Amino acid sequence: MSTYVALLDGGSREQTIKVTPQGPGIYQVEMAGEVHRVDAFRHDYGTISLLVDTESYSAQLDQRQSEVRVHLRGSTFSLEILDERRLRMRRAAGRVVVEGRHTVTAPMPGRVVKILFKKGDEVKEGQGILVIEAMKMENEMKSPKDGKLAELFVLEGQVVEGGAKLAAVE
Amino acid sequence: MSHARPIRKVLVANRGEIAVRVMRTCREMGLRTVAVYSDADRGSLHVRFADEAVRIGRPPARESYLAIDKVLAAAELTGADAVHPGYGFLSERAEFARACEDSKLVFIGPRSQSMEKMGVKTSARARMREAGVPVVPGSSAPVADEGEAAARAAEIGFPVMIKAAAGGGGKGMKRCERAQELAALFQSARREALSAFGDDRLYLEKYLERPRHVEIQIFADERGECIHLGERECSVQRRQQKVIEESPCSIVDPKMRDAMGEVAVRAAKAVDYRGAGTVEFLVDAKRDFYFLEMNTRLQVEHAVTELVTGLDLVRMQIEVAQGEPLPIAQDAVVRRGHAIEARVYAEDPARNFLPSPGRISYLRVPNGPGIRDDSGVYTGWIVPQFYDPLISKLLAWAPTREQAIERLKRALGEYTVHGITVNLHYLESVLDHQAFRSGEYDTSFCTKHEQDLLARPDPRYERVALIAAAVAAYKRDHDQAEAFAARAGLALASRSHWQRIGRARALRGVLR
Repeated sequence: MSTYVALLDGGSREQTIKVTPQGPGIYQVEMAGEVHRVDAFRHDYGTISLLVDTESYSAQLDQRQSEVRVHLRGSTFSLEILDERRLRMRRAAGRVVVEGRHTVTAPMPGRVVKILFKKGDEVKEGQGILVIEAMKMENEMKSPKDGKLAELFVLEGQVVEGGAKLAAVE
Repeated sequence: MSHARPIRKVLVANRGEIAVRVMRTCREMGLRTVAVYSDADRGSLHVRFADEAVRIGRPPARESYLAIDKVLAAAELTGADAVHPGYGFLSERAEFARACEDSKLVFIGPRSQSMEKMGVKTSARARMREAGVPVVPGSSAPVADEGEAAARAAEIGFPVMIKAAAGGGGKGMKRCERAQELAALFQSARREALSAFGDDRLYLEKYLERPRHVEIQIFADERGECIHLGERECSVQRRQQKVIEESPCSIVDPKMRDAMGEVAVRAAKAVDYRGAGTVEFLVDAKRDFYFLEMNTRLQVEHAVTELVTGLDLVRMQIEVAQGEPLPIAQDAVVRRGHAIEARVYAEDPARNFLPSPGRISYLRVPNGPGIRDDSGVYTGWIVPQFYDPLISKLLAWAPTREQAIERLKRALGEYTVHGITVNLHYLESVLDHQAFRSGEYDTSFCTKHEQDLLARPDPRYERVALIAAAVAAYKRDHDQAEAFAARAGLALASRSHWQRIGRARALRGVLR
C-alpha cells in the first residue's frame, strides 16, 4: 500500500489517498472514509481509462513540473501529488515568505516594450509597472502591492524568458 | 483550360494554420508549394507540408514575414509564379501587391489599387460614404498625435475606438472610455500597429453601444462580376479578437441578407475589387447596419462560409487570380444548414487571456461527424512567442444551429492539448451560455458574462480526479522501482559469480 497526499487550491486544502494494488491494473483506493475499486487502463500519452466501481471515466494527466492538471469530463483540476516522504521533506523545508519585498516575474516569454515607472517610484497594488509584448499583444505587469519600486531587472526592448525577474516592490 | 496567367507554383507568404490551409488546396489542385519561414518556424508544420521552403530571417515579423524584399527573393529563388499572402502579415499591404505585380508574380488577391483604396481605413470610409454605403461616425483622416486625438475624441464623444489605419484582426485597436486614458491607449495602439502592420497611423471612430459584428463574404472576378456568399456573425470577441463565428446569424433573415449583400457588392465594385473579400458591418439594436471596414484578403473564419456553401474559397481565389470567371453565379449560391467555428488560442482566459507560448507535449484533435479542424501545430511543436496565439480553428456543421452548437461542444471535449494553456474550456462555456444559445448576443458578450465564462471545475468530479492522479503516481513510482530492480538484476548477472559472492560478503560485513 502507498499513501499519497494531494494538495488542492494551491496548497490550501489537503486530501490523503491510500492506494493498494489488487492485481494488474486493479487498485483499492481509500479516500475520505470511502473505499473504491478502481480499474485503471493506461492509453496513449497521459490518458488513463478509469473504471471507478462501475462508472467509466477518461482522465488526461498533464504533468507540469510539480503540478499535475487532471482533465476529466469537461473540468480541469490543478493539484500537486506527494508521497509521504516528499510531504515530510516539503514540511521540513517550510514555506519561505518574504514579507515586504515582492518580485514581479514574467508569466510568459516576451519582449519588454515599455517601463512605466522608475526605480524608487511609489506604486499602488494593481498598477501597471511595465508592458510585455507576447504574441503581438501587449500585457501590463501589475504591482502585487502598494509600495516602492525597489528594483528593475530589465530594460525596454529586452527579450525575457517565462519566469524571468522583472521588478521588485517593497 | 487556357489561362491569362497560369499558376504552377504558389509561394505562401505566411505561417501556421493558414499556410497549411492554403497549401492543402494547392495540393488538391496539383500545384507545387513554397513555404517561407523565420528562425522560430524551422520546425513549423507549414515548412514540413510544403514542397519547397526558404528561410527568410530572424523571428521578429519585421525581419521575416513582413520583409517584402526577402519574400520576393524567395519567390525568385524557387521560381514560384504566384504568391498567396494568407491573412495578417503582408496580406493587406498594397506595396507588397504592387511589388508582385511589378515582378510579374501573380498576387492571389485584389489589385494593389483596390487595396490602397480600402487598406487605409480612413480613405475607405470616405469612399464608402460617397458610394452611398452607411458608415460609423469618426475621423475621416489619420490623427497625427495624442493632442489631435483628444480633440477628435471630444468632437465624436466618448467612448471612442482607436484603430490602426492599416489594421484588422484587433491589433492596434483600443476602446477608450475617458479622456484621461486616451494618451496611454493611443501610444499602446501605435506600438501594436507598428509591430503588426509596419504602419503606425491611427484613427478614431465612435464606439457604438452593444453592436453586433456581422460580415459579408464577397467574391469578384477580373471582369467585374461580383457575388456575395452570405454573412458570418462574429460578435463573440475578447480583447477585440474574434473567438466564435457562425453562419447564418440569428437576426439576419433572407431580406436583410440580400440588403447587406447588395451593399457589400456595391462597396467592392466601388474599388474595382477582384478575388475574396469581406465587408464588415456593425449592426445596431434596430438591425440597421453600418460599414466598418473591408478586409481585402481571405479571413481567418472563411471556413464557416465554406461549410455553409460547400465552396473552397482558396480554390476560387486561385482560379480568379488565373483570370478565370467566377465558377458560380449569385442565384446558384446555395446555403445549407448551420456552421460554427471556435478559435483555439494558446492563452489563459483565467489570467485575462495572457498568451501561453511553449511546447505542446501532447495533442489529440477531435474527429467524427461534421467536424473540421484547421490546425497548424503538432505534438512536440513549440508555439513561438513572436506570432499570433491562434493554434487551430475547430468547425462544426449541422442541419440546425442547435445541433451545430452541440456538435462543436462535443468536439471541444475531445480536443486534448498538453504543455501549454489553451482556451478550450472557455470556448465550451461560451457555447453553453444561455445568452449565446438564445442568439441574443452582441459584441459586449465576453465582457458582460466574463464571470460566467471562466470555467470552474465541477466539484462532483474532484474525487475521481484525485483517484486518477493517485493511481498514476502509484504506477509511476512502482514502474520506476521495477525498472531500477530490473537494471540492477541485469548488472548483477553480467558479473562473475566470484565477484557477486565477494560483494555479498562485503555487504554483510558492513551491515554487521
